[in-house]
This record gives sequence, C-alpha cells and structure tokens, in this order.
Amino acid sequence: MSDLFNPTPEHKTLRSTLRTFVEREVDPQALAHDREERFNHALFRKLDELGLLGLTVPAEYGGAGMDATAVAIVHEELSAADPGFALAYLAHTLLFANNLAVNGSDAQRHKYLPSISSGERIGGMCMSEPGAGTDVLGMSTTAVRRGDDYVINGAKMWITNGAVSDTELGDVFLVYVRMADAPRNKLTMFLVEKGFAGFSLGQKLKDKLGMRASTTAELVFEDCVVPASNRVGEEGDAALHMMRNLEVERLGLAAMSLGIARRCIEVMNRYASERKSFGQSLRDFGQVQRHIAESYAEYMAGRSYTYWAAANLDLTKPGNRLDSDGVKLYCATMAKNVADRAIQVLGGYGYVGEYNVERLWRDAKLLEIGGGTLEAHQKNMTRELSRTEKLL
Amino acid sequence: MKILVPLKRTADPDNANKVKIAPGGGKIVTDGLEPKPNPFDEYAVETALRLTENGTNPKVRLAGDSVVIVSMGPKESAATIRQALAMGADSGLVYETTDEALDGDLVARALARVVAQEKPDLVVMGKQAVDGDSNQVGQILAERLGWPSATFAMSIELSADKKSVIVGREVDGGVIKLKLTLPAVVTVDLRIVSPKSVSNNVTPATHAYQDGARYAPLPMIMAAKKKPIAEAPFASLGEQGLTTTYLRFEQPPSRKAGIKVKDVAELVQRLRSEAKVL
Repeated sequence: MSDLFNPTPEHKTLRSTLRTFVEREVDPQALAHDREERFNHALFRKLDELGLLGLTVPAEYGGAGMDATAVAIVHEELSAADPGFALAYLAHTLLFANNLAVNGSDAQRHKYLPSISSGERIGGMCMSEPGAGTDVLGMSTTAVRRGDDYVINGAKMWITNGAVSDTELGDVFLVYVRMADAPRNKLTMFLVEKGFAGFSLGQKLKDKLGMRASTTAELVFEDCVVPASNRVGEEGDAALHMMRNLEVERLGLAAMSLGIARRCIEVMNRYASERKSFGQSLRDFGQVQRHIAESYAEYMAGRSYTYWAAANLDLTKPGNRLDSDGVKLYCATMAKNVADRAIQVLGGYGYVGEYNVERLWRDAKLLEIGGGTLEAHQKNMTRELSRTEKLL
Repeated sequence: MKILVPLKRTADPDNANKVKIAPGGGKIVTDGLEPKPNPFDEYAVETALRLTENGTNPKVRLAGDSVVIVSMGPKESAATIRQALAMGADSGLVYETTDEALDGDLVARALARVVAQEKPDLVVMGKQAVDGDSNQVGQILAERLGWPSATFAMSIELSADKKSVIVGREVDGGVIKLKLTLPAVVTVDLRIVSPKSVSNNVTPATHAYQDGARYAPLPMIMAAKKKPIAEAPFASLGEQGLTTTYLRFEQPPSRKAGIKVKDVAELVQRLRSEAKVL
C-alpha cells in the first residue's frame, strides 16, 4: 500500500528532516516564546536554510515549487512543537507567498517573491477588519484611483505577521479592499509595503489566549498611497483570488491541528504508562483508555481526510472548497478535544507549561476561529452540498 | 578526492529504551521503531561533506571531489542513503541482506571488497553503530586493507596537497594528533561535527559550521531524487560466513534505588563497607 501521508520518498525525507529540526531547534524555544508573546525571528530565518520559506513558490522565484501534500507535512511537523511559530510560517508562506505566486503578475512575482522566499522580508495578508470577519464581503476598507496610484482608507484586524515587534510594522502584505463604488462581491487586492505613505501599525495585539509566538496586529490605512503596479489582477478580481487561496490556507490550518493532536496523544500515551494510581498503571483504567483510544482514532480520521484532500488539491485552481473547509472543520475541533483529554489524563501536570499540552490546548482554540470560523466552514460546506445529491 | 562513507540503518536511537529482547533471549526486537541513520555515520557523512566543499557554498562538492555512501542491509536502506544524498553526497550503493546475516567482521570484509571496487582516497565512518555498539568495523577494515587508521576522531584536517590528514583523538589528559598518509580509514566521534572541527584548506579558517550534521534543504531533497543509488545482492561481494555467534541477549539489571545518608561519616562508612570503593 502506498503511504498516504508520505506519498513519495521526497515527502518522507522532508518529514524526517523536519522532525529532527523541530526536535532540536523548534521545541526547545516554544514555551519561552509563548510566555513572552514574542515571534522568534532568528528561528524563522533558519527555515530559509531548509528551503521552506517559499514552499509552493516556483523555483524561478526562489521557491521550492512543492505541492499541497508538502504544505500539510511542513505545517503538521512545525505545529507539533510550536503552533504559534507555525502560524507565522503559514501567514508568510501560504497567505502571502502562495497567494502572490498564483494570482500575481510576472513582474510582481519577480519583484516580491525572491526576498520572501529567502525570508529577508516577512509577508502577511489582510482580510478581516475590526467590524467584518466571517462576513468578509462586508469589509469597508476602500480604494479609489488617483492618477497612477490608488488611495486606500480603512483598517485591517487580526493580521498575523502584521508586526515584527511590539512597535514595528511587518514588511509586506496582500490587502483585500473594495473599490469605492464596487458592488459587495467585487474585491480588489493590493501589495502594500512598510514605508508606503499612510500605512501604519495600529496596535500589536496582546494578551492572546494562544498562538502567542506569532504576532497579531491591527493595521491602519490612512490615505495610504499604493502605485497602480501593485494592484494584483484587475479591479474586482480578488474575490476569486481569495477563494482560490483559502483552500490551501485551510489545508495548512487543518495540518497544524494534526500536529497539535499528535503531540498531545504522544504526551498522554507516555504519561499513562509512567504514572501509577491505586497500584496500577494509568493506562489500565478504562476512563484513561477512552481518552487515549478515541483521541488516536479521531486523529487518524482527521489525518487521513487531510492528506486525502491534499492529494486532490491543485494549488492553481479552485474547486476543493467542500473538503478544504471540511478538513479544517473536523481537525480544529478534534485537536482541541484531544488536547483537552491530554490535560485530563495528566491532571495537575497537564495544567502547567512543562508538559506542553496546556499550551497546545490554548493554541488549538484559535483554529476554530482563525482562517475561517467553524460557522463559516459549516455555511460554505452546506452551500456546496446543496449542489450535490450523491456523495462519493 | 573520493570519500566512501559506510552508513548503517538503525532503529531510532532516541527510543532505544523501547528495544525489546525476544522471549528466550535469541534476538533483539525493534518492531515499531522508526529506522534512522546511525548517528555516528551521519556525523561521518557531515565530515565527508565538509572535507569536499568550500563551507561558504556547501551545496556543491569541490571540482574532482565526490562522496559515495554505502550501506549493507534491507532494501529500504536506499531511503536512508537518499537522506545522505539530500545532505549533499553524490551517489549510493546498497548491498541487500538482513541485519541478522551480518556481523562486524563480515561487514568489514565486504567493505574491503567495496573499497577495492570504488577506490576511495579515504573511508570515513562512525566509530560504532548505536544498536550493536561493537566498535570494530573500522578497525578490521583498515587491517584488511593494510591502510593506516585513526579511530574516535574529534577533528580532521586535510593537507593542501590532499595526500594526508591530521586526525585529532581525545585521550585522557588531552588530544593526540595522528598524521595519516592517504588512503586511510577514519572513524569519527561526536565532536567531529563541532563548528570548526573539520578543515580542508579550502573553507576559510574563519568559517564556523552549525553544530551537528546539516539538515537536508528542501531543494536538495528534490535534487537527490536524480542522484544514482546502485542496488546489488550482498552475495555479489563474494564474502560470507559469520565469525561471531550471539549466544543470548539479556536486559541489563535494573538500577537499584538510591539511599540517603545523614552525614559524611555515614557516607564514608557505606562507601567502605557496602560500595567497597574505598
């Protein structure tokens, strides 16, 4: 039988290399960066040595040109140690780099992707707003044309990589806006860089429950001037860009859930062997057996669904919405539940940082909200299914 | 310069505590453990790569230099070799057999045949494999070949004319340095992958490597797909017959719990009467 999770020897080598890297370099720093709510820039630059920062970007723009399965592998492996760090990687690699690689012009790719693929600059994407989240088409940030430029006004919220420190704006962003007079479903996308007049850091968001090793920011556009050459596609094209890219984003987030779940299962499985209670091993108790066995079965179900969806996901075209929403809908809650059970099995030890599962539990919750709320997935999937009478 | 690196596939050494002994003590069971390259052999690969590159551009070998990986074991050993190719080695050889059909002496004899075919200038290998811990293949191989050898290398320096190496070995009270005329066999220890432990008179002296064996970067993983790995049955090397017979495997006795002493006098007394070390 072929290996669904590592369909080629190269995928397998990628995973085993990452596992060693993660164990040696990512795991040891995770707790401290969570505690300090700080992004590890130096570690991020190390991902360049592994050739991971332009994961899906074609080789001619400095990337590795890999497929959706590689996306799943990298996000799963990074997230098994540090979901916050993995989220910053996802924003850079998928929300920015893959989005521009698929939707940008040749000139834009040449201008931006090499420095993104090398990690010299960190990318992000701006969609949500203070007053519009799941109702993404309800966004109110607008652009108007003025000669050779566009002028953008509004604010974007929950932007991963929006800041590189407490006070410093992130480097470069893909920003979804609406032309001032455009209908609700016609969005337009722009490349906006740090240094553009009128573009600033509103605030770096603090006191997050989880994902604290990635930065999250509100970004402000006050008569922000963007050259017309930085418009990605035509005016009104961007809803398609968004739909196309959301699929791989959700796959990446589902894969992050898998990493969290795997780690939590490993922790509770080991603990259940080591810890004795009432004269027997914890794993001899039916209550604990239920936590471990159900977690594993759900993890494998989610993992199989995710890698199956990855094998069928073409990064260049839409058409996998049902299952890209589906994997994230299932895996996000699965990971949160598995983390919860791990804490339960470990008791007091699960409730403190040393055993990692409390952090993973906090991180897992974000996956039910970010990159599409559970409710958004349910809405999208039910709409997709309305066109389908017979299932596979 | 051509370097041959023998590489053994071993059960995940980070989970060595999960290794079991089969009922009756007849053999070691490693079921469920992920096969990984023997860590000391991985250090040997790293050493060979550092010797054959300019450290400021580690993705290519120096002109005329090559690193060949050889493994003896199950067919899947090719996957382990592929990882070394992704790190930067040029080609691989797999001689298919099972681990049970080998002992250190037979592996050394077979490697001597491979050396005769491949004609490397240097064989670099781990000081021992972390499963059997026999620590003998490098030594037997050198003896069979009649080549000079240095074991447990913690540093290695290739001369500018590429005709000799100076190998540093940690001994009690310091480091002893041996000059070997090539061709030679060198077995390496952990410290060989320290940032400045390998020099080849090409990599600038100021260059510091990251500690440990390098990670295979993704583009090289993809490029390694096209590098050649030749597969042949072990029997084709024309060596056979085990000289070692394994009688029985046993778990080491489990460690007894410690005791607390109330003062130094009691400590001294117990060291004398119970531990009998004074």
